[in-house]
Amino acid sequence: MWRTGLLLHTYRRSGHLRTTGLKGICGTHSPPGPSDPAPPPVPGASMTASQALDLWRRHFEERGVAEPDHSSQYIVAHVLGAKTIESLGQEKLNKLLRYDHVERLWELCIKRLSRMPVQYVIEEWDFRDLTLKMRPPVFIPRPETEELVELVLTDLQGIQDTGMHGECQLTCLEVGCGSGAITLSLLKGLPRLRAIALDQSKHAVDLTRENAVRLGLEDRLQTHHVDVMKEPEVLLSLSDSFSTLVSNPPYLFSEDVTFLEPEILGFEDHAALDGGEDGLDVIKQILTAAPKILSIHGHVYLEVDPRHPPLIQQWVKDNVKGLSYVDTRHDITNRPRFCILRREW
Amino acid sequence: MFSRRSLQDYLKKLEEEYEESLKAASSSGSGGEQQEEQEEELRATRTRLNLMAPLVQRFRELRTKEKEVKDAEALLRDDDPDMRELAALDIQDDLQHIQFLRHTLMELLVPDEEVDLADLVLEVTAGVGGQEAMLFTAEVFEMYQGFAQHQGWSFDVLEYMTSEIGGLRRGCAGISGPCSYKRMKFEAGVHRVQRVPKTEKQGRTHTSTMTVAVLPQPTQILLTIHPKDLRIETKRASGAGGQHVNTTDSAVRIVHLPTGMVAECQQERSQLKNKEKALKVLRARLYSKKLEEETHLRRTARRIQVGTKGRSEKIRTYNFPQDRITDHRIGLSMHDMRNFLLGEELLEEMNSALQDFSNQDALLELLGENV
Repeated sequence: MWRTGLLLHTYRRSGHLRTTGLKGICGTHSPPGPSDPAPPPVPGASMTASQALDLWRRHFEERGVAEPDHSSQYIVAHVLGAKTIESLGQEKLNKLLRYDHVERLWELCIKRLSRMPVQYVIEEWDFRDLTLKMRPPVFIPRPETEELVELVLTDLQGIQDTGMHGECQLTCLEVGCGSGAITLSLLKGLPRLRAIALDQSKHAVDLTRENAVRLGLEDRLQTHHVDVMKEPEVLLSLSDSFSTLVSNPPYLFSEDVTFLEPEILGFEDHAALDGGEDGLDVIKQILTAAPKILSIHGHVYLEVDPRHPPLIQQWVKDNVKGLSYVDTRHDITNRPRFCILRREW
Repeated sequence: MFSRRSLQDYLKKLEEEYEESLKAASSSGSGGEQQEEQEEELRATRTRLNLMAPLVQRFRELRTKEKEVKDAEALLRDDDPDMRELAALDIQDDLQHIQFLRHTLMELLVPDEEVDLADLVLEVTAGVGGQEAMLFTAEVFEMYQGFAQHQGWSFDVLEYMTSEIGGLRRGCAGISGPCSYKRMKFEAGVHRVQRVPKTEKQGRTHTSTMTVAVLPQPTQILLTIHPKDLRIETKRASGAGGQHVNTTDSAVRIVHLPTGMVAECQQERSQLKNKEKALKVLRARLYSKKLEEETHLRRTARRIQVGTKGRSEKIRTYNFPQDRITDHRIGLSMHDMRNFLLGEELLEEMNSALQDFSNQDALLELLGENV
């Protein structure tokens, strides 16, 4: 597949940068092309964090790197052991940088020049109240998904409080877990929940597990490396009584994928983004399985493209017995983003 | 204060009521047809007793101590010098205890306001004086961070808007912990700094100001905001959002449409967290506005105006050349700027003095006397 080719190509580029190191990039004078000027040389004299911040912001801007301000800020903050520049404080910004910090800063900023997403550059990001490890090509969770978790949490907390399920165990299945953001947030928020998380990518399954261990949530989590498109029968073999099925499946229309920013196109796993011609390939697979693996009145929560909700409602009505479409919810920007469905019988 | 007739009478009356309630509570029992009604009444009496018990106990203790002092004073005229010395020591001890008892009684007598038990949002804003004002604003914000830590409260930075020339333009923090609002409310107002700024070449002393606002954090019941009254602005509002976009700009700005009030947060990497924090600030601002409107007509005669009412009052001066901090409301001056700005014992001492002063006023109001 050409997409994989592109991905590999970009990897090699960033890998190359890493092995050549600072001296190779900045010290020697390989003539830079007009469209590809050399990154700023590592400063001989010491500089303050604030100066470095400004230097890289300007350089990112000149090189057309998206969000030059935030990129520079997050990388500087990370190198100095903070999450945001705001939490660093003025005093630290005016201090001279240690040499090892300068070296690290240059190493990370050069990665960013290759358009690697900031989250991969600093190898972590926050999702709700969790800090998760991030690693290419595993999909970087988007803020909309924080709201998806909110929907599920609110409903499951309600069930737990009213004791509707009695002493019965709450269980959740996530299809396409990526870095583990959704499942781990649910496990963190619901101490009695058990979960199974699947992904077609071995990288994703490994990262979910790693994040679970870091957060101490691995005891209530099972992970499986499964491609539901190729092996739908595995899905059916897991259980027939999940309380909840949740997914942020690949939902982009294939034709949109080529127009994505280089950060996404070149670094994130396309299989986590591309949902086929109408973006519904994986969604249909999940909904077909849903009535067979959910308990009665168990719910499905999906994050989708804003064009999807009416399509999904119609398709389920025509094709899936025992599953009813409950509601469409909107995201913070007021786009129809989430679908809720329920197994009726 | 305690020599006032009105207060003594008030306390005596309270004691009598306590005795009667106690009798009523113990003599009940003989059931009858109105048992249920009686039980209801009994429960109310017991609650009242529980409330009065510590007050009455302290008051009795106070009376005992005062009598002890009087007795000891007689011994001061004794022929035996040893006896006189002993009596003097006793009196010293007793007076200290009396001081403590009076303070506790005041605390118990002055009823908590509804908002006294609330958490709060602290807001510091630079005022007159350009960069110097902003530098001082940053120092004051840090002082309260120290104060919160010293008091064992949590201090959660919600907004930190620095200026390009250095210093803090505006900062907000959520503070929660026992008595946090009750204490912090005395810090609201205009704080003035007098010193030679670092940038000043000719060594002249400048005067700059900053404002502290202390906004009680309303509970869900006290303030409800309709989601449709809010406009939430994020970087992701344009374009397709979702999987189409990967941005690290997680800033959130919330506008309350009916009032035009705004709060924003970019303190966190999580957009949801930023939204929660911005909403917290917005709720506190809306609630203060509501309180302000409610209490607009109800003017109090108190000499210390707290919270929103005292916002524009110049309450305190930090004079660096003289190493002196003066609170203008009670005319109290303290020294040692460095220690004061740590937000530990010295600030606590100043704050307690304000609280005592305010309690006295509140008590007089309660007793129906003019301040």
